[in-house]
Amino acid sequence: MTEHLGENAELYPLGILDDDAVRDVERHIALCDACAERVAQAQRAAASLAAALPAASPSPALERRLRDSVRPPLGAAKGHPSIFRFALAAAVALIFLGLGWQTLVLQQRLKAEDIAFVTMVHSHFNHVSMSPESANPVAAKILYARDGSWIYIIADKPGGSLHAIAETPTGSIDLGGLTSTGETASLLVHPRERIRSMVLQRAGQNVASARLTY
Amino acid sequence: MDELVEAFVARRPSGLEQAYALWSRLFFSVARHAIADSDRAEDCVHDALVRVWRSPNRFSGNREMLKAYLVTCVRNESFTTLRREGRRDARELKTARLAPVTSVDPPVVDPVETQRLQAALGRLPDEQRMALTLAYYGNKTHVEIAQELNVPLGTIKSRISMAMRKLQTDLASAEGTRS
Repeated sequence: MTEHLGENAELYPLGILDDDAVRDVERHIALCDACAERVAQAQRAAASLAAALPAASPSPALERRLRDSVRPPLGAAKGHPSIFRFALAAAVALIFLGLGWQTLVLQQRLKAEDIAFVTMVHSHFNHVSMSPESANPVAAKILYARDGSWIYIIADKPGGSLHAIAETPTGSIDLGGLTSTGETASLLVHPRERIRSMVLQRAGQNVASARLTY
Repeated sequence: MDELVEAFVARRPSGLEQAYALWSRLFFSVARHAIADSDRAEDCVHDALVRVWRSPNRFSGNREMLKAYLVTCVRNESFTTLRREGRRDARELKTARLAPVTSVDPPVVDPVETQRLQAALGRLPDEQRMALTLAYYGNKTHVEIAQELNVPLGTIKSRISMAMRKLQTDLASAEGTRS
């Protein structure tokens, strides 16, 4: 390893080093914990200096560009030109996971919520069976993105209107009622906070619950 | 580990999106201070954040350190862009604000933090404050500062380095007092 960074550790976060020096610093701190810590402290001071800069707000377009850059393009992946390929992939994945009955429902809902399902197929997701509660419970499962960006609740033979209540780090959130599609009821949500656990209620009584792990 | 940091390091889109939601004005203000053109400043924010997000193994630390790290990346990206375009000179730097302490524009963050910063800057020795101010708010390189102040390059580097370390200590101490 080359010798330690010295004063360049403090100059680096100010943006005043030339490109070669910047690369040298970045290479060095990848290997040297002591200098990485020194640079990290300097970065905090530099970030404080930014506090006195005149404020400027970016356009909303920048947020969309960032999202497009880090999220898989919906329905535009090479070699997967059709929404039905995604549906098939989802179905195979779910059958493989032993979730055949949910697959039928997913196919039924595909036209209405194809964007959401494409997102699901592109994403890595988890699933959990809800634990039955009360004397008249409901069988339900939850599919959810590993990053918590979407949650899909599906209940078999709901036996009445079902309501979903989520527990987040900041408290409870009422996610609203599940939409009945005959023999099943379901709800797709894009929560703003990470959901820790979920309860389904029928007529104000808990009928199923689950804890979500990420 | 903090959920935001964890998501960022794990390269989850939500990590970048949350970081942007929290600090977008700060990022853009940093880029806009270096680059007069808003569209190009946005390009720099975008490119810096996406590049960092795609190689998060470079980062370890808490939320505040992530913010500081991302601010550094945005600032360095802005100046790299200017250097690449050969424009880190007259036209761009005319927009530099050399006197942030007396600026009438609203600051990026809350007034209390700005006040703490201004007090900390005020406690630096004059020659160190001058060098640091020219570097950060004046967008000047250490070479340019050395020429402008007619002082050896090594001296300028030392002054800036010492100023930064004093600032770290001062702000950390003020933070400790406040919490």
